[in-house]
Amino acid sequence: MTHTLAIHSSKGGTGKTSIAVNLAVAFAAEGKDTCLIDLDLRGPSLCTMFRPKSRFWINDFLSGKCSLKDTLTDVGGELGTNGQLYLSFSNPDIAEIRDLVSKDRNWQAGALKALMNGKKELAEKDLDVIIFDTSPGVEYESINAVAASDIVVIVHNDTHACTNCTEQLINGVYSLLDKKCAIVDNMHHGNCLDVIEKSRYGAPVLATIPCMCEIATRGKDEILVHTEPEHLFSKSIMAIRDKIEAMQ
Amino acid sequence: MIETGDRIVDSELLEQIVNNLKEINSKLDRLVVQVEARDEQVSEKDRMVADSLDVITLLSLPDHLRTTATTLFEIGPATADEIASVTNKERAVESNYLNQLVRMNHVRKYREGRKVYFRINESLKKK
Repeated sequence: MTHTLAIHSSKGGTGKTSIAVNLAVAFAAEGKDTCLIDLDLRGPSLCTMFRPKSRFWINDFLSGKCSLKDTLTDVGGELGTNGQLYLSFSNPDIAEIRDLVSKDRNWQAGALKALMNGKKELAEKDLDVIIFDTSPGVEYESINAVAASDIVVIVHNDTHACTNCTEQLINGVYSLLDKKCAIVDNMHHGNCLDVIEKSRYGAPVLATIPCMCEIATRGKDEILVHTEPEHLFSKSIMAIRDKIEAMQ
Repeated sequence: MIETGDRIVDSELLEQIVNNLKEINSKLDRLVVQVEARDEQVSEKDRMVADSLDVITLLSLPDHLRTTATTLFEIGPATADEIASVTNKERAVESNYLNQLVRMNHVRKYREGRKVYFRINESLKKK
């Protein structure tokens, strides 16, 4: 059984990509065959952390130009994870991003169908986990990813703007699409040891990760879950992974 | 006299009839213009909903239709029976919902042998 997660947030800069990448490595390290797909088509970031080796981008797949497997780069060997780890990159070329912004709702409808088919394609390859790293807020790309997922992980930071929008997303999008959702409190400024909030807006809070500059500075060059599994951030990611597994 | 009078009456009557006919004609012309304009509006609306189903439209559907459409997205082309087995509703209920989605142009209906299948409308071009 393949499980699909969408990592989403109401606002940008909450740490979705860091959590998506580390979570993907954490699943693969545990022996789960995992695929991480960069669906932040307007602001691609996976290509800044890994070098794409495939001929096609996820953009090509969504436009119906290739199959999903044609977009995959295998990095499991490179990282030495127990399970396979495939990445599908979004094209960072500005012409491609400009082109994407002008796509109409028919293209987006086709993209959703493609994502659904891509999920089936990966399920046939016996993948255990698919992770969609999405763009923030209510954009076609991110809501397509939410619609194609089984569980939505909301990466939340401690600002009023984020708080208000998260509640709206849960009630106005995820619930309408019958998605299970869970919250990760990231960049938390309070005393994390005292935080024992178990759920918010009816969704479980999987972890509260303190704000640490190190996550940003070291995260540029390394994947903490891989290089320092004992780091507080890595431990939080593994706790998130275990709780997601328990939700399935 | 009577004859002449009758002729006068007749020509007056004819004139009136011709005038009435002209008026009817112009009213009909106006009606034709109105109907054509309305048809154009309808076909414009038709073109808009004839597009395939995108996720934001999916979100704006009423709950019961959204569940049916989402299930159809998930399991691909399916019969009303297959959808009903996922949604735990009666086949007749799902068949009704699917046909509503067909009328809204979001879903296509086709026959394969004796079974009727439904699939998300794939027409990527406007009518």
